[in-house]
Amino acid sequence: MAFDATDVVLSLIKIVIVLVMMLQVTPIMVWVERRGSALIQDRPGPNRIGPFGLLQSLIDALKFILKEDIIPTGAHKWLYTLAPVFGLVPALTTIAVVPWGRPFRIPQRISDGGALTSVGWTIAGLCILGAFLAGGATARYSRKPAHSKFNTVIGWLVVAALAGIAFLIGAALLALHAAGTVRVPAGGRWFEPIVADVNVGILVIFALASLGVYGIVSAGWASNNKYSLFGGIRASAQMISYELSLTLAAVSALLVAGSLRLSDVVWRQTGYFVLFDTIRIPAWNVFSPAMWLSFIIFSVSAFAETNRLPFDFAEAEAELVAGYHTEYSSMKFALFFMSEYMAMATMSALITTLFLGGWDIPWYNEPATFGGFLLSALAFTAKVAFLLFIFVWVRWTIPRLKYDILMRIGWKFFLPLALVNVVVVAFFIAKHWI
Amino acid sequence: MPHALSYMLEYLIFFVFATIAVVFALMVVLHRNPVIGALSLVVAFFALAVMYVLLEAPFLAALQVIVYAGAIMVLFLFVIMLLNLQHRTEEATRPVQQFLGFTTSAAFLISLVYYIGKYAVFGKLPDGRFASDARTIGIRLFEAYVFPFEMVSILLLAAIVGALLLSSRGAATRAEIPTEVSE
Repeated sequence: MAFDATDVVLSLIKIVIVLVMMLQVTPIMVWVERRGSALIQDRPGPNRIGPFGLLQSLIDALKFILKEDIIPTGAHKWLYTLAPVFGLVPALTTIAVVPWGRPFRIPQRISDGGALTSVGWTIAGLCILGAFLAGGATARYSRKPAHSKFNTVIGWLVVAALAGIAFLIGAALLALHAAGTVRVPAGGRWFEPIVADVNVGILVIFALASLGVYGIVSAGWASNNKYSLFGGIRASAQMISYELSLTLAAVSALLVAGSLRLSDVVWRQTGYFVLFDTIRIPAWNVFSPAMWLSFIIFSVSAFAETNRLPFDFAEAEAELVAGYHTEYSSMKFALFFMSEYMAMATMSALITTLFLGGWDIPWYNEPATFGGFLLSALAFTAKVAFLLFIFVWVRWTIPRLKYDILMRIGWKFFLPLALVNVVVVAFFIAKHWI
Repeated sequence: MPHALSYMLEYLIFFVFATIAVVFALMVVLHRNPVIGALSLVVAFFALAVMYVLLEAPFLAALQVIVYAGAIMVLFLFVIMLLNLQHRTEEATRPVQQFLGFTTSAAFLISLVYYIGKYAVFGKLPDGRFASDARTIGIRLFEAYVFPFEMVSILLLAAIVGALLLSSRGAATRAEIPTEVSE
């Protein structure tokens, strides 16, 4: 495994991009969840801080940091402290094997007329425009009689941040211009937008996702609280049960692609199904009738695996106070929150990759350039965002099931169905019908 | 230079995770609390999976984590937590168990030392590429090793039937006693 400095730098860039995306999922999703629930329940929701309450998550995070961090007397101190980390690490690392854009060829020379610099100038220009707009709005707002000092300060902070970003990008681009061109060593090379393109991709995801349960279980046990313990026990039973149907449902998508590598699964879906020699449908797995059953099983199991309503028995606030995190407060509690949303984002990314064509844009052939990569990455993000919204939508629409119903669905309905489905799909593939 | 760097990284990762594996394996045996013991075993399994990655067998590593750390140990933990075995030290009621335990572990240790000595220290490791991708492993399993593979599946089926029989025997006796109050 030989690698050079450029490989290391590219890997670092990819890791930073993925980490930043994953870390900002939580604040955005908290906002979406609260505004979305308000929309569904016909009430305004948080609307005080920032426009549309957008900065609410920032203030929430501040609140979490400032709250007192309590460790109960009877708790197992070490495990109680480590449990949120057990939950967070798998949630944060699983995304590494999911491809999030079309690979593109980095040209040998990035000159000042290249796509990178034009995109940079566009972003800088948008930032300056936003700074002016936010500045004007804040100045007007602060003259109103009922204005709050806090919101005014936040407004000016936003202006300063936007101006700072614009300044940094501009300075970097000017430096690039002054240096003439940036030379990429050893000729052009491919940029694969995936942190680790391992040949057992999907197995890594299932391995890490199955470790996520230890955060919940050890939190429930270490809290030394009956409700927490029940939450932990329920979570472990639930996750074992639904892991089976989740894995078996994924198998059919892998069978079609003939590979465990997730980038192969996406590449397989970039073509078209042609109906009656005229209608072209993107060859996404979700549009293939043989995949519908596994798509449904996978999506429902994904809800159970991420402990989301209607399957959130690990916290079940009507029965268990708050389940496994009853005793948690401050930043430790926030870490559980973060890992829940990150697991949701990972599951959405997985559904997108396996069934919704990954980064593929329908009816468009992405070129192998930076522009094509940007467009495909945007398409991937849009699909994941849509699925995340579905998660929120379902949570505030469907009530919690009973625990025995959850177990019955998992073992007596989904598992046999998924098993039969694997055989049927394998038969179709053997007959070359798909 | 980069080659030396990658070797150094490999050694660094190996020694870090080897230490973790040994320390947590000792924790499993020595810690009094069964929950901590089970969680330590999970960490030891994970460290072992890292060893497999270093040996360029990522498939085996992923399976190790999925099967042992992800499924079996969750069940262990589930049972331990359900029984609420906390800080309980039991007297050895049957000395023969202790004797059997010590003998088996001694036999295992001796065979381990023998095979490590035979292949790693004195002999030569089998040369050639290690078949590690899913396709090769699948083909080998269903061609060369199909008989042992099917035997294992029958063994597992027997275990399932046995578990069902044991639990249903309890249910049969319980069914005679009306447990629920009818309206």
